[in-house]
Amino acid sequence: MTRLMSMAREKVDQYELYWQRTHKIDVRYENFHLQQITENDLSSVALRVIDRGRLGFSYGVFPDQPDLLAQAKGAAVFGEQAEFSFSESTSFPQVETHDEQTASLTSKDLVALCEEVKERIAAVRPDIALTIQCGAASRRLTVETGAGTHAEHAATSVSLSLFAPVKGAGSGVGKYQAAISPFTLPVEMVDEFLQWYSWSETASTPKTGRLPVILAPEASFLLVTPLCAGLSGNAIAKGTSPLCGRMGETILADSLTVYDDPLRAGDPASRPFDDEGIPGQQRALVERGLLRGYLLDLHSAAKLGEKSTGNGFKRVLFGGGSETTPNPQPGHVVIEPGRTPYAEMIAGLEEGVLLFSGMGFHSGNYPQGQFAVQGFGFHIVDGKVKGRLERTMVAGDIYQDMKHIRAVSCERREGAGSLVPYILVDSLQVAGRP
Amino acid sequence: MRDRLVKILANLPADYADIRYEENEKTAIVYEGKELRKIAAYSTGGGHLRVYADGGKATSSFSSLDKAAPLAAASLSAAKLAAGHRTRGLRLAAAPVLDGAFPLTPAKDPRRLSLNEKQELLAHYNEIILAEPKVTTTVCSYDEFCSRRVFVNNEGTAVEYELLIVNIAGLIVVKEGDVVQQVRFAFGGSDDYSRLFDREEDLKKQIAHACELLAAETVHAGVYPVVLDPSEAGVFVHEAFGHLSEADGLQNNPAFRDRLQLGTRLARPLLNIVDDPARLEIPGGYLIDDEGVRAVKTPLITAGVLSGRLHSRETAAEFNEPLSGNMRAVDPQYTPIVRMSNIFIEPGESTFDEMIASIDNGYYLVGAKGGQTSGDQFSFGAQWGYRIEDGRLGAMVRDINMSGELFSTLEAISMIGDDLAFSEMGGCGKGGGGPMQLNRKSGKGAPHIKIDAVTIGGRR
Repeated sequence: MTRLMSMAREKVDQYELYWQRTHKIDVRYENFHLQQITENDLSSVALRVIDRGRLGFSYGVFPDQPDLLAQAKGAAVFGEQAEFSFSESTSFPQVETHDEQTASLTSKDLVALCEEVKERIAAVRPDIALTIQCGAASRRLTVETGAGTHAEHAATSVSLSLFAPVKGAGSGVGKYQAAISPFTLPVEMVDEFLQWYSWSETASTPKTGRLPVILAPEASFLLVTPLCAGLSGNAIAKGTSPLCGRMGETILADSLTVYDDPLRAGDPASRPFDDEGIPGQQRALVERGLLRGYLLDLHSAAKLGEKSTGNGFKRVLFGGGSETTPNPQPGHVVIEPGRTPYAEMIAGLEEGVLLFSGMGFHSGNYPQGQFAVQGFGFHIVDGKVKGRLERTMVAGDIYQDMKHIRAVSCERREGAGSLVPYILVDSLQVAGRP
Repeated sequence: MRDRLVKILANLPADYADIRYEENEKTAIVYEGKELRKIAAYSTGGGHLRVYADGGKATSSFSSLDKAAPLAAASLSAAKLAAGHRTRGLRLAAAPVLDGAFPLTPAKDPRRLSLNEKQELLAHYNEIILAEPKVTTTVCSYDEFCSRRVFVNNEGTAVEYELLIVNIAGLIVVKEGDVVQQVRFAFGGSDDYSRLFDREEDLKKQIAHACELLAAETVHAGVYPVVLDPSEAGVFVHEAFGHLSEADGLQNNPAFRDRLQLGTRLARPLLNIVDDPARLEIPGGYLIDDEGVRAVKTPLITAGVLSGRLHSRETAAEFNEPLSGNMRAVDPQYTPIVRMSNIFIEPGESTFDEMIASIDNGYYLVGAKGGQTSGDQFSFGAQWGYRIEDGRLGAMVRDINMSGELFSTLEAISMIGDDLAFSEMGGCGKGGGGPMQLNRKSGKGAPHIKIDAVTIGGRR
């Protein structure tokens, strides 16, 4: 790395090196049998340079790859005029996300946890085609610039996911949990998985029309992803966001307060800096329904005449990675809890829907706040779960429909990169029985 | 490289072991509006190995070849550990030993052209879009992927083969008042750079459709008969049926395995579906899969009856069915999984006009906008559509997403057009038990088709 850096200092005006190393072990059971054990040891780098005022990019495997700098410099000949400089930050908040115990887990340890989960579920439901996946990962990220930034972060995570297809149906039931440190058998998660599976064994299709809908934390992406697409500094700078010029205005119900908090303690995805080496910070995005903050990376901040908010991440809707250009993304979305117990939400519905996932989200016009998905979840009638949703689509517009929220739960859970409560939307359009 | 890989496997006491090593060259150029957001021509690489021992399996990906030997030894121990937690061991179907090189010979090879030449072509198309006053921004991308792979196994197979695909694709974003709409476009999808030339008229048609969408009405939710254009029908066959023809998804799913026995009638006799990797001119073409098996054409549905399946060596042994050469990995960090190559519905005898005339109240849906599947449930979007009323095309509609269940929808295919066309853009996301692998080398095609009932979601 030092050799690359000293060469870069001599040959280009500015540089930024991103280097990610990952060691990961995964154990996967299918239909109660251990299908595969995987151990990966991977490295990837991304180099951005500004040469004669122009941006150039290159990607590779290790920082000492001989052609890395030459390729970035070569690309800069044709590149765009740079409107920003790379990070100069030298101090970063403290975020503890590394546990040596996790880093030393072996495939035998993961198999032992899977066996415990398997036995608990097999004792109740030996008839289901259960998939268990358990992983332990150690990641180390370095972002270094010629302007003095040297940011290093180490993180570990242990994850467990359960899935089983529902017999006689195309859909299935899944649960996921992750932590920085090793954990023992997660009884609550396993029991809720079994309860959801049991609820799924009967099918029910609501009649077409508007119905109240509870978004479970797992389905929060239907709100969070369109909202963050609207808050993206790129969309604001281009004028394509429905939130352009609306700072301080009401965009959601006053029961909804949304933060970006990449520093949250105990979260394996927490980070002291973004993928451009800018320090992370806790910020309000929406406060009691009022628009309070956009998500800015270096590029969009320069376009808007602002400073980066530390939201330049190498992520896109599906995946991302070293070869993805940093773009405005949340660090970790947190929605404030309400006061209603989740069980009361269900009990209070004459007829409604509890959604835990939706399929086909990316085919919709979500950057404008709209979604139309095949709903995975439950049909609720007279305050009780009648059965799993079948042949049911649910459509909405977050900027219209989520101004009308009946209740926000006091319970919160991790779901799809966010910590969120259950949210009872007054009504969404449901397409089911004619 | 080949000798080095052979040496790593030589002393490994495994029932079966293989290593794939890749050297990948990529070019990525992206315009967003007038801005050139990314320009890069670069190389990456790495390897992946698989070990079977005592009926258990372990795999490993590595960036440094120096790690390959210790990871192979660790994988052998892991495979033995896995074997102890199975009641029935995994087996591999016998495959012919292959030895040789399988290079590509593109008509116009993009690897021989300068970065500047590629950027200028992309800029030309981007400027055409930006010339339309209603366009508020664009995403215009050039994507070139070349992978040189060496695969060896401990049975004696040692092959060198290439993958190469080049595309220009993107989004046209238009705005009028508060209404923002977008339409996709894509050219290329093969190893031949010349397919990117002279596409101005195709692009202008898409720009016109985007502008029309601004005034289109939103679709009405409900269950309707629909006609799908070839692009939409291609996504339907890929998402709804294709993924269930991939045997690794069925291997440990007893309910679907029972339901999808070869010989089962799934549709009316007019429906024929095949997977054909030998069509190198469309995105999913290739010669050798990532398990060292020759790629072959596989009939999947013949005259409405399930007639074949896509396999790895492991699933072919499990199902006692022929090898198909469909094990593929998108890059070294992934293990190969069973994937479609070029899946398509073979042409039928109906005309487009006959299909429209047969519907009193429905929709004609146009342009793939992504899809997703879970078991036999599927969902996919359309870029735009038209009302069909009393056998005639009516007003344009937008914001269309539809869903359904495979088996009833296959039975509901009642007319198939005579106008087979293939998508020029690949793209398929599948995890297959691991992280999501986004595969640009995945092709799909179809003629126009009529489906008697599909659920359409909408805000009205």
